[in-house]
Amino acid sequence: MSDAPIIVCRGVGKRYGRQWVLRDVDLEVRPGELLGIIGPGGHGKSVLLRLMAGLVQADEGSVTVRGKDLAVVDNFELAAVRREFGYLFQNYALFDFMNVADNVAFPLRQEGGIPEEDIAVRVRARLEQVGLGHALDRFPNQLSGGMKKRVGMARATIATPRIVLYDDPSAGLDPVTSSKIFLLVKTMHHSEPGVASVVVSHDIDRMKVICDRYVMIYEGRVLFNGPESAIAEADPLVGQFFFGAVAAKTLRP
Amino acid sequence: MKPLANAISAITASVGASALNIAETIGGASLLLARIIRALFPPRVDSDEVWRNLYNVGVKSYPIVVMTALFVGAIMVIQTAFYVQKTGATGLIGYGVGFSVFAEIGPILIGLMFSGRVGANNTAELGTMVVTEQVDALRALAIDPLPYLVVPRFLAMMGMLTLLMVLGDLFAIVGAALTAQLLVDLHWRVLLADLLQSHLLDEFTMGIVKAACFGVSISCISCYFGLSVRGGATGVGRAVNNSVVSNATAIFVIDFAVGYLYSL
Repeated sequence: MSDAPIIVCRGVGKRYGRQWVLRDVDLEVRPGELLGIIGPGGHGKSVLLRLMAGLVQADEGSVTVRGKDLAVVDNFELAAVRREFGYLFQNYALFDFMNVADNVAFPLRQEGGIPEEDIAVRVRARLEQVGLGHALDRFPNQLSGGMKKRVGMARATIATPRIVLYDDPSAGLDPVTSSKIFLLVKTMHHSEPGVASVVVSHDIDRMKVICDRYVMIYEGRVLFNGPESAIAEADPLVGQFFFGAVAAKTLRP
Repeated sequence: MKPLANAISAITASVGASALNIAETIGGASLLLARIIRALFPPRVDSDEVWRNLYNVGVKSYPIVVMTALFVGAIMVIQTAFYVQKTGATGLIGYGVGFSVFAEIGPILIGLMFSGRVGANNTAELGTMVVTEQVDALRALAIDPLPYLVVPRFLAMMGMLTLLMVLGDLFAIVGAALTAQLLVDLHWRVLLADLLQSHLLDEFTMGIVKAACFGVSISCISCYFGLSVRGGATGVGRAVNNSVVSNATAIFVIDFAVGYLYSL
């Protein structure tokens, strides 16, 4: 955890029209850590994730990945940066004209230079790891929500990215499936040393099981940044959110 | 006077907003065309996507093009037969059918059918990919959506509409010959002989050029509206509606422009 940060956000702000959804966000993501971004819905967590991946540009401040400022890199450099990422989208974002195997194989085929036989072996192995070895030929519309999430995770991690971003991996799933998905996130994270994972969710109970550190976004700003042990000294809102309003020692009126 | 001033202000604002919308569409589609052309030199295209689109755009469209062309040929014979028989100038029926089918009615009707089937479908498909984050997923995988999604559609629509127009011309003649034989009491050989003697190569090439231009405009407009979708399912519906209207308008404008240039 002592390595140099792989992602650095400094004074990041993002607005849509006149509405600022993020302001003055400072945070770092280090290799090997599993960072949880928590906070109420609609307070800018997913936008922060998209900023980290360079899918949207910051309106103020800077986002750097391995020292490269995403606002100033050209398209080729941005593509090179993005190849470091795996991204699980909230709504799966599976390509509906491809079957499960082709969806998962897609990042490898786009890399180029990998023989089809090797791709097939890696795809089958990854899908078996997420419990979908039987569903290679199915199309996304033939899968349940949990299965789609697992296909999305397999696709996000098949090319062994150094940074994996998970946008609300338990959204719309039942508690049992959610627990399985979070355990898969943990398994994926530890399957490759030095991988940085960032998980956005408000499912605190399941985040507690897997995360090393938390950043709480509230009304577009960082309200807390640290491990669970530091929450007692943080703003009372963090305790309320993290432990539940009833269990929190200090309640904001 | 104040209500009148308000009414004039509202009308002016409405006209201004419409003009801005039209300018935005033309500008957006033109910029997209420029980016497509730039992506073609040197070619950065996914060949699997090109083949998939050639099949979806071309093979799946040919039944509707054949059906349209058969009826276009048949209708032109019925419309011209009345006057031709009245004057006894049966030698003109082949020329009349050929001229109108090759140069005007064929390209326009086939272009409109193609835009309704392929253009609307393309806008809906790309729009759905936008709202379900599939386009973002491509970008997250370091893949530029333009060469991967747009350029194959552009090549497929331009190439296939041109080929479909040749096919359409052929079936329009078949429709005309069948109608002449069965309904107008004119032997099909007479119609074909007259058609071949009319030297309609210019009209034929004009129709093909129009088809290629329609293919360019349908692909650019439908991709532009598809990739500009905002606001979920409602946004997709609105984009498809705008795409169909804009494509139909563009077809008539291009038909006029190409026809005018050929007349010079």
